[in-house]
Amino acid sequence: MKKIMIIEDEKALRDELSVLLKNAGYEPIAVTNYDNVSEQMKNVNADLILLDINLPNVNGETLLQDFRKQSGTPVIMLTSRITEIDEVLSMSYGADDYITKPYNPTILLLRISAVLKRSEKVGTMQKYNDVEFSTVKGSLIRNGSEQILTKNEMIIFQLLLDRRGEIVTRDDLMTALWDNDEFVNDNALSVNISRLRGKLAELRLPKAIETRKKQGYVLK
Amino acid sequence: MKMADYLKDRFTEHLIYGISWVLVLIFMAAFRISFQATVIISLLLLLAVIIADAWGYFRKKSYYDKLRYCLDELDKKYLLSEMVENPDFLDGRIFYETMQETNKSMCEHIAEYRRENKEFQEYIELWVHEIKLPVASLQLMCHNDGNAKYAEQLKRIDDYIENVLYYARSGNAEKDYIIKPVSLKRTFADIAVKNREELQERNIALRTENLDVNIMTDGKWLSFILGQLMGNSMKYKASEISVTADNLPDRIVLYFRDNGIGIPEHDMPYIFDKSFTGENGRTHKKSTGMGLYIVKKLCDKLGHGVSAQSVQGEFTEIVITFGKNDIHNVR
Repeated sequence: MKKIMIIEDEKALRDELSVLLKNAGYEPIAVTNYDNVSEQMKNVNADLILLDINLPNVNGETLLQDFRKQSGTPVIMLTSRITEIDEVLSMSYGADDYITKPYNPTILLLRISAVLKRSEKVGTMQKYNDVEFSTVKGSLIRNGSEQILTKNEMIIFQLLLDRRGEIVTRDDLMTALWDNDEFVNDNALSVNISRLRGKLAELRLPKAIETRKKQGYVLK
Repeated sequence: MKMADYLKDRFTEHLIYGISWVLVLIFMAAFRISFQATVIISLLLLLAVIIADAWGYFRKKSYYDKLRYCLDELDKKYLLSEMVENPDFLDGRIFYETMQETNKSMCEHIAEYRRENKEFQEYIELWVHEIKLPVASLQLMCHNDGNAKYAEQLKRIDDYIENVLYYARSGNAEKDYIIKPVSLKRTFADIAVKNREELQERNIALRTENLDVNIMTDGKWLSFILGQLMGNSMKYKASEISVTADNLPDRIVLYFRDNGIGIPEHDMPYIFDKSFTGENGRTHKKSTGMGLYIVKKLCDKLGHGVSAQSVQGEFTEIVITFGKNDIHNVR
């Protein structure tokens, strides 16, 4: 399980973030003592850090600058400061992404998984059981037979694969598609999913995607 | 300054000179001074008056003409007192010193207001920053508890908060933005995701074309602008929003078009005016008349051109022009 460190002084927000991350299959570690945040950042050995800019006694940007001298652990800045200047500064100090509050929880999770993937240098080839998922070719390959996926199908499959075994809601799928400039409607999503199922069936995996009524889909 | 006006202004002095001259004539007649001597004395007196008038006139004329010229040429008239010099005649000096004094007091007065305004703006920024925290917490709670009902209202609250923030920013004389290349595609997708629930609920289709360009602007301001335009389209019953960019050699033109109810022709000239709600605002729900006004002000500050076309009952199209190299247009 990936460890994600939350450095956020607003208690309500911190608690809800922890719940969100836990539900999404991460292990959240929330900082509650802000006297030696810098030390904690180095010692916890997290896979990713969510860092607020405004913290008691210390500025998130300074922390980041300091942290970057020793560690390449990905950092996402979470802030309610809505200025481009802060964003450019944070990025120049080595932040991997910058998200302003309030954030769409699904988008936050998408960004987290994107940053994690980038830092692990996940190749363009991923595996689902004995199926090879190539994001470069945009295809699924099993036992030498290949199914070409459309962009939408790739986005859907990628999200299901990232959260394999968990329920992915239609809302989450929709958000992921829209986030990739595919402004589809409800019907189009259903069509895309049934096409994806069809392609998986061609690879003799007709039951790979399971429907959970009124909840969403699970990639088994 | 005209000679006639100058003489008219000195009418009383000349009247006194005239009366004095008549008295002198009477005295001279009484003392039986010869006619020639009287004429010569009169001419000498007249000459003295003419010389004094001419000297006085040209001295003031040169000063006031220069003052007038400066006033006409000045873009900011209140800087006049910085431009003119202290004159060498008494009334001019008194006037000059008065002007300096009042100007100084006015400057202090304005500085005071400017400071208050700035403080207020800083407070708004801080306030927005603070209120975003509970909003963010609530949004996560809604998501974690699977309660979508409140999320919609929260989004409305967040939109209103952003309005206040950008209104405060648009009126601010200081530069609190940065111009850098911003992906139009990314910014639009963010706004679309943000408004996805409402767009889908209203069954509005989005079409985009050629958005894969970088434009020189402030990303946050641009996303506010696009958000406002999208909000308007949703409010005024569009079923399709199409966003197209046209990449020209010297500029990029963005067309934000919807097929909503459109704007009546007689309202078109005023749609960017403050607090203008127009017919649509009256007949449809909730319009503050601030959205497009703020959009226009932000565009002006960033140096982008913004205009609108519409046919009532057919479409509304907002056109924003981004210069490719117009940093110098930024205000």
